[in-house]
Amino acid sequence: MHADWDVRSVADRVRRGEITAESVTSASLARIAEVDPGIHAFLHVAADALDQARAVDQKRARGEPLGPLAGVPVAIKDALVTRGVPTTAGSKMLSCYVPPYDATVVARLRSADAVLIGKTNMDEFAMGSSTENSAFGPTKNPHDLSRTPGGSSGGSAAAVAGAMAPCSIGSDTGGSIRQPASFTGTVGLKPTYGRVSRYGLIAFASSLDQVGPFATDVAGAARVLSVIAGHDPRDSTSLDVPVGDYERACGKSVGGVRVGVPNEYFAEGLDPEVEQSVRAALSALTGAGCIVRPVSLPHTRFAVGTYYVLATAEASSNLARFDGVRYGLRSLGASGKRDLRAMYGATRDAGFGAEVKRRILLGTFVLSSGYYDAYYLKAQKARTLIRRDFESAFRDVDVICSPASPTPAFRLGEKHDDPLAMYLNDIYTLPASLAGLPAMSVPCSATASGLPVGLQIMARPLEETTMLAVASAWEALAPGARVSPVP
Amino acid sequence: MPAPNVDRALVEHVAKLACLSLSDSEVDRFASELGRIVGYIEQLDSLDTRDVPPTANVSVDRAPGRRDEVAPGLTRDEALAQAPEVESDGFAVPAFVE
Repeated sequence: MHADWDVRSVADRVRRGEITAESVTSASLARIAEVDPGIHAFLHVAADALDQARAVDQKRARGEPLGPLAGVPVAIKDALVTRGVPTTAGSKMLSCYVPPYDATVVARLRSADAVLIGKTNMDEFAMGSSTENSAFGPTKNPHDLSRTPGGSSGGSAAAVAGAMAPCSIGSDTGGSIRQPASFTGTVGLKPTYGRVSRYGLIAFASSLDQVGPFATDVAGAARVLSVIAGHDPRDSTSLDVPVGDYERACGKSVGGVRVGVPNEYFAEGLDPEVEQSVRAALSALTGAGCIVRPVSLPHTRFAVGTYYVLATAEASSNLARFDGVRYGLRSLGASGKRDLRAMYGATRDAGFGAEVKRRILLGTFVLSSGYYDAYYLKAQKARTLIRRDFESAFRDVDVICSPASPTPAFRLGEKHDDPLAMYLNDIYTLPASLAGLPAMSVPCSATASGLPVGLQIMARPLEETTMLAVASAWEALAPGARVSPVP
Repeated sequence: MPAPNVDRALVEHVAKLACLSLSDSEVDRFASELGRIVGYIEQLDSLDTRDVPPTANVSVDRAPGRRDEVAPGLTRDEALAQAPEVESDGFAVPAFVE
């Protein structure tokens, strides 16, 4: 692998003509062919990747200006639709689906001269924390093939950690970018809700879903964010607000920046090595001039219950569209009789995996007559309390730091048969999702056995720049702490 | 409110609402798993939310509505290309009215 395998180096060298987009894409494809049979980050490798790269080189040869991601191979989570390229969302339901349009994020990447190298594995419909719920088999963690890369964007994280692409796109509903970033030693960023268009993202829980980047370094993630962020008239929740200069935010001094540390995130269940690693990063930030102080987020322990009511309720509604009529799988059932209701039931039974069915059932239950107030409305009120916790804490601090996950990557199969244990693993990422805040995971020192650990940084709505400044300050302080892509 | 007993009958009722045909073994499995999950969610009951308004979404600002203008969309062929069954330029489904 060449040394300068980060988003900015690749794009800037392609723009200067020092390397060709074709050579970068060839290297990426060769790497995928070499290591992905053992990792399974990709569900689909783009047949036209080299054509896309050559088109970038030809553009340069014609003297046309190149975009900020010129020739950069980008792996796309299979939850985002890509025109003419199979898109499955990790589900049997969509195993033969070829979308007729591009998600806005995908269209923006193309316009920035990126090369869409392929589609990455994920938990089915983004429901899971380990990529084991993919209908096409799990992804393995490049740092230890017996362990999960996290989820649901596990394929996108593993593609970057395995040096198959310098960056990738994921989606985060309750931690699906940050937790896999933490497990794989990559940088993963969930923007403010509304910052990035959700148009063409196959919906899971619409009030929470947000698209964001993975990259080998903080500035790389910042550059990708600057390409995909911004108002989109096709998404009614997309905010029409100025996009920050994310790349310039990296490297800015963090002297005087107030960093809150929530006591509730350093509680029972936190692995001691993860705690040690995160506390070391906080000490280093103090050394860089940050003012680190405790804050309290008292409703943290209600986040898992709140999230699993609201997210499943929204999912049960969103996934009603998979009915065997307009696209995707159709099954008439064992009888083969042409009956509409039987077709709906048989299609959904055959197309959805166990976790998706479990969440549709839970979501339908909490919305059903007699239970709506006790569960759904109650959870919406709990969401208000969790939001207020953050509003109050952010009166005294500029960012809040915590572990991204209570443990390093767990073993494949370890939690797969215990859905509640799997849900509880999301405790540190769910609150920022419920509050709609920007949040990211940056690698800190690995455990004694070499497993990556992630520092989570959360900021006020739309203050990705402050978050990136702190992330890049930590990255600069501890270059040795970064877990390199697996050779 | 007291936790509902998540039994086979409740799972079968909810599965019907959600248009999911489940096998017998799935009904048993989900009754037990959902029972545990609902039991955990019961902790929300301990929160005092008397004067707390619900949060349905967290947009920091109201996103502007799009102008109501005609714009190109998918062609009929594109829209039908992924359908499991097409008949006379439309999505075909089993008959549901006599």
